[in-house]
Amino acid sequence: MLIYNREIRKNAKALFIWGIILGGIILMTLSIYPQFTQDQETMNDLLSAYPDSFKQAFGMDRLDIGTLLGFYGMQVHFMTTLIGSIYAVMLASNMIAKEENEKTIEFLLSKPITRTRIMTEKSLAVLTNILLLNAINVIVCLIGFQFADEGIPMKTFMVLIFGTILLHITFAAVAFLLSVMMKKSRTITSVSLGLVLISYFFGVVSGITEEMEVLKYASLFKYVDAADIISEGAIDILYLSIMIGITIISTWLSYAFYLKKDIAT
Amino acid sequence: MKAVEMNDLTKYYKKSRGIENVSLSIEEGEIFGFIGPNGAGKSTAIRTLLNFIHPTNGTAAIFGKDIVSDSKEIKKLVGYLPSEVHYYDDMKAIDLLQYSAKFHEYKNTNRIHQLAERLQLDLHKKIEDLSFGNRKKVGIIQALLHEPKLLILDEPTGGLDPLMQNIFFELLTEERNKGATIFFSSHILSEVQKMCDRVAIIKEGKLVTVEKVETLIKNNLKKVSLISEDSQIADFDLDGVLNKETNGDHITFLYSGEIKPLLNQLTALDMKDLLIQEPSLEEVFMHYYE
Repeated sequence: MLIYNREIRKNAKALFIWGIILGGIILMTLSIYPQFTQDQETMNDLLSAYPDSFKQAFGMDRLDIGTLLGFYGMQVHFMTTLIGSIYAVMLASNMIAKEENEKTIEFLLSKPITRTRIMTEKSLAVLTNILLLNAINVIVCLIGFQFADEGIPMKTFMVLIFGTILLHITFAAVAFLLSVMMKKSRTITSVSLGLVLISYFFGVVSGITEEMEVLKYASLFKYVDAADIISEGAIDILYLSIMIGITIISTWLSYAFYLKKDIAT
Repeated sequence: MKAVEMNDLTKYYKKSRGIENVSLSIEEGEIFGFIGPNGAGKSTAIRTLLNFIHPTNGTAAIFGKDIVSDSKEIKKLVGYLPSEVHYYDDMKAIDLLQYSAKFHEYKNTNRIHQLAERLQLDLHKKIEDLSFGNRKKVGIIQALLHEPKLLILDEPTGGLDPLMQNIFFELLTEERNKGATIFFSSHILSEVQKMCDRVAIIKEGKLVTVEKVETLIKNNLKKVSLISEDSQIADFDLDGVLNKETNGDHITFLYSGEIKPLLNQLTALDMKDLLIQEPSLEEVFMHYYE
């Protein structure tokens, strides 16, 4: 596991920074919750002041912001999914292409190690980093929930976290595939960041009007929509299958393509 | 068993040619040179052997193992020095070399320090702070460290000063005495002449010839220099005369063929001086490129 160890060590600093930023935002947001509930009435007034389409876009019409889970779903979930996805694609898109850009891949390929092994160790490193970031996320949330004097339904919270992790992994798998197929690592990072943001945008737009609703299929963020998960207590099996499908196909294509790839000078 | 065997090895890139139908074999323990100008396909051949790129056609084997399907096994036996050394910038030289040793499960890391001392390399500098020549030294140690049975060196001396080149050749000789086979590409002929048993000449992706270095120099060509005020000299011509250059009363040319007709022609001339000698490999090489 030499390559895996090196990738983990190399990316530890970035993970640390992302963890601090994400954790800080979560803690700050959750610390507002007690004031929110104290002043339920003004808050309802405040919410009703928003236009309906805005509320629909962000699922505010279906989430009860007066409960801790509803507050989490509306105020924190979108950040953990979005920020985590950005982290995941930035990490994965650099995995293979960077070594090729900097030609350090020639070093690895001249060692007694198969290309499959290189791919496996690198994708495991991406997976580990995503899991670690989400572990930070969960721990910080559990601490943040202590601000409120009410409990949180753990099962539903865990489904939300599971959805978040699956979303991150799906985006990472797509970015990893791009990292294998494309050349310039800077382009790959931009393209995969673009994918995340467009996907997020589609998710928001699809909530606004009926006609736009089909767009939700183009948005991975809609697949793990907090309002859906909190009301159903589970992720829609169709969405689940699509995400797992994208991950498996992208990973398989990455391996297949990389085994045949010519490492150009 | 041959150390390296290529059979009709061919590699085309999307549009351009890489190498075409290259067949050659290298004996175990041999030092084999691979000579050609830039762009002739030397690196392509080497990268194909290491399976960085996949052959379009033909096969090759290293110690009897197929270069595509047994690439991992092959790399246990091979040390590779790229023409341009690119390593992880964030590592120190010593980190990189220890990382490399771990891949080969090579335990005798003392050898890193021994080799670094010979090559006068500071192991505790970051790779990004090293000069081109010093990076090359890291590459050399990386290639030699695990005492491979086959060394594949792509233009190994580029960036090394003459003193370092000598130390490098000493190190190669030591590896050879331990039984290593050495395959190296170069466009500098004198170093090939100095080191190699046999040499392959490659031109525009095709193998021109494989010869023993001695044969290449001895059998085919003579270099003739003469000084003469004879006015006939400008008309001097004979089958097998190449690269004739006239400079006042000086005339030099290469000659390939029977020596007797040459001498018969020469005796007819009124000469002040005559020198017939072995041509340098450079001249032999130019001849193959005509």
